[in-house]
Amino acid sequence: MFVGVTHQLSGRRALQFFPRRGTPFSVLELLLLIVCIALAGVGLPQSLQDVAVLTFLWAGLALAWNIAGGYAGLISFGHAAFFGIGAYTSTILFVRAGITPWIGIWCGAVLTGAFGALLALICARLRGPFLILSTLAAAEVVRIGALNWASLTGGPEGLSIPPVPRLANMVFASKATYVVIMLLFLLGVYAITKFLEGSRYGYYLFSVRDDADAASAAGVNPLAARTAAMALSAGLTGIGGSLFAQYFLYLDPTFVISPEISFQFALLAAVGGLGTAIGPVLGSFLITPMSELLRSYLGSQAAGLHLVIYSALLIVVMLYFPGGIAGALARLAGRRNKP
Amino acid sequence: MSAIVTIADVSHRFGSLWAVRDVSFSVERGELLGLIGPNGAGKSTLFNLIAGALIPTQGEIVFDGQNVSHWRSHHIARVGIARTFQIPKPYRQLSVVENVMLTAFQRERSISRARSLAIETLADVGLKDYVDVPVTALTVGLLKRLEVARALAMRPKLVLFDEIMAGLTPTEVATMTKFVGGLPARGITVIWVEHVLYAIMKTASRIMVLNRGELIANGEPAEVARDPAVVKAYLGEDMNLA
Amino acid sequence: MSTFGQLVLSGIFIGSIYALMSMGLTLIFGVLRIVNFAHGEFLMLGMYGAWAITRLFGLNPYVAAIAVVPAMFLFGAIVHQLVVRPGLDKPHLVVVFATMGLSIFMQNVALMIMTADLWDVPPIFSRSITIGPFYFKAELLLGFVVTIVCTFFLRWLIRTTYLGKAIRATVQDGEAAMLMGIPVPRIFLITFAGGSALVGLAACIMMPLFSVFPTVGLNFVLIAFVIVVLGGMGSIEGALLGGICIGVVQSLSSYYVAPAYGQMFYFILFLLVMIFRPNGLLGQKGAATIGIND
Repeated sequence: MFVGVTHQLSGRRALQFFPRRGTPFSVLELLLLIVCIALAGVGLPQSLQDVAVLTFLWAGLALAWNIAGGYAGLISFGHAAFFGIGAYTSTILFVRAGITPWIGIWCGAVLTGAFGALLALICARLRGPFLILSTLAAAEVVRIGALNWASLTGGPEGLSIPPVPRLANMVFASKATYVVIMLLFLLGVYAITKFLEGSRYGYYLFSVRDDADAASAAGVNPLAARTAAMALSAGLTGIGGSLFAQYFLYLDPTFVISPEISFQFALLAAVGGLGTAIGPVLGSFLITPMSELLRSYLGSQAAGLHLVIYSALLIVVMLYFPGGIAGALARLAGRRNKP
Repeated sequence: MSAIVTIADVSHRFGSLWAVRDVSFSVERGELLGLIGPNGAGKSTLFNLIAGALIPTQGEIVFDGQNVSHWRSHHIARVGIARTFQIPKPYRQLSVVENVMLTAFQRERSISRARSLAIETLADVGLKDYVDVPVTALTVGLLKRLEVARALAMRPKLVLFDEIMAGLTPTEVATMTKFVGGLPARGITVIWVEHVLYAIMKTASRIMVLNRGELIANGEPAEVARDPAVVKAYLGEDMNLA
Repeated sequence: MSTFGQLVLSGIFIGSIYALMSMGLTLIFGVLRIVNFAHGEFLMLGMYGAWAITRLFGLNPYVAAIAVVPAMFLFGAIVHQLVVRPGLDKPHLVVVFATMGLSIFMQNVALMIMTADLWDVPPIFSRSITIGPFYFKAELLLGFVVTIVCTFFLRWLIRTTYLGKAIRATVQDGEAAMLMGIPVPRIFLITFAGGSALVGLAACIMMPLFSVFPTVGLNFVLIAFVIVVLGGMGSIEGALLGGICIGVVQSLSSYYVAPAYGQMFYFILFLLVMIFRPNGLLGQKGAATIGIND
């Protein structure tokens, strides 16, 4: 499932096709970047703009999840809580206190980061399915709390952002602007991820993920590493949540803090390739458009058919392509690079 | 006192079983101390106590003048105690050099310098050809050498070797023995748990024998080999080990 | 006071039914060390089966168990071979996603075939049963009785038969069990299929008390997880104890506190157990820190 691309510093100046840990650019990354910029710049039809916005946003969120799940080995199914806390924080600050989302987003990030650290501390000794279930339970607690604290969050009726397009409100009339914003988010998270994986801190995370006892014997504090990773992952997820709120203009706890959303983050990262930077991006680029397509083509024909196909595909991919898309591509690329 | 580490009346209990009982000794700087004993004697437990993986139920461990009895393993590693694991614990998704870089980070903060230090250490233990190989491709013998490289990349003051010879071929044993024997000259104090008695008898300046959690002998290799209590603990009858 | 007593007792009874639903999960958890995220959908499948047989043949769900339980055993065996087994030697995330995918798959197939409507079976007993100052639906009491009988049966199975010993050995240490000659892959298969059969039985007991609809599993699977964790992974008695705790907590909190917050209570309970006693009330020490592929 994990991709064993090794650190390359010795001499290979020539640009590689496939990204490697530690090298800033590869052909694949540059190609994708060009495609993304083109998509953001060129006028896409309305329906495709929706898909582009979501694809970029989910890619960024999957990357954020990957910092905890892929790099630190903390498989969380509760990240929807961070998504929701971020979204609600910036929205509540805007709608109730008039604070512009441009600032509110950062408040949300700090708050979610703190929650992330808290979750990591609570779950410090848990591994495997216990961690998954605990993060799920924690997210459910947050959801039910949000649902019932109506005075703050608007409860089941939800919270709306007035659709008044203005830069200060971070609300835009043209979807194309949102495409650009989400792409910037994706690029930001991607840059952070790449920086992390090529740095000493990235190695600390990998060591704790692969063998916490050995990491400890090497001087790495596993709890500190995990907590920091979760806090960073949570904060970035929170930012994505705020951006989502600014796009969708309506929040409701059952939709936003749902296990389905938590699952989605993990799914995109895992199918794309856990533990790599390019993996979650590839995962979202493949799955998000596909699921939107399936939903629009088949959603009306037979309720649920698109999900039947989607889930069957998921089972097959998970069982037979454990390295995800990135893993499969890396194997191909590896074969091509050999003499 | 030039003792680098002092163990004072250390005892450790698992449930109702005392794995280590009233063990006291000290190790001088630059010593190569061998620690032997039959299976279940408590050698690994003692290692885990010194390395901070376990906190002693009773007693004190002093390293370089500091009381480290209640320190956790990452703190202990940071003051200069390195250890190997009896069953190698490599970072499975990293390459050989990356495995060593983790410990090298204790000495060098930059990636490139840590990598150089790691490669140097790998060359020291004869793993120079495996630098960028995924660690999952290594055999047990090579993994054991990797354990040694990981420990030494820290440039530790004290290193704890836990049965690094098990599974090695006779040639590998000879090479490793010579290598470990040369460590004190480089300023590294060694405590070495080993079953391959030949290696340890040849290189250690002092041998300690643990049996059922208690220290039953502590002296020069030749003396210890003749000590009837030691012979009895291992073999249960009169036999000359020397 | 009698309200309190009524609440506690009905909590015990419904809790025991929840426990029956969770026993399969705890066995699977304990033996295979995986979480079957489609567990709720297995329950849904059993409930639809019980409902269909009841409607088609004019029987009742208890009799339908004769067909549903073996059918669920077979279904479990098939799922194990196709979905679980290929993932066992891979990182545990693979099985998590595979069973989650299965869960979504089953929900939506059910949606397509049965539609989103709620289906019920007609009441089987015409009146409630009175015990002292308390009265209960007969179906509830019958469910409680079935659970207790089942628990004793499973205890007997696990403690005295070879299969039971093999299961216990595999729960404690799968590798050692294999070295001792226990056919661990077959134990996995039997446990998964057996766990599914247990869920089928629970479905038949629950059909008279709850409606069935495609996402009914979601409500119950989280309860099942909490019970399994509370009772300790792999422990049948633990599941019973955990189930009763949950039933009582839910019963009391729905009445004395707002029903909306009811669910939150057992999630918090779950988290508290995970933090302070991750091995559950009756589980094995160290179980929670032994991860998968760790």
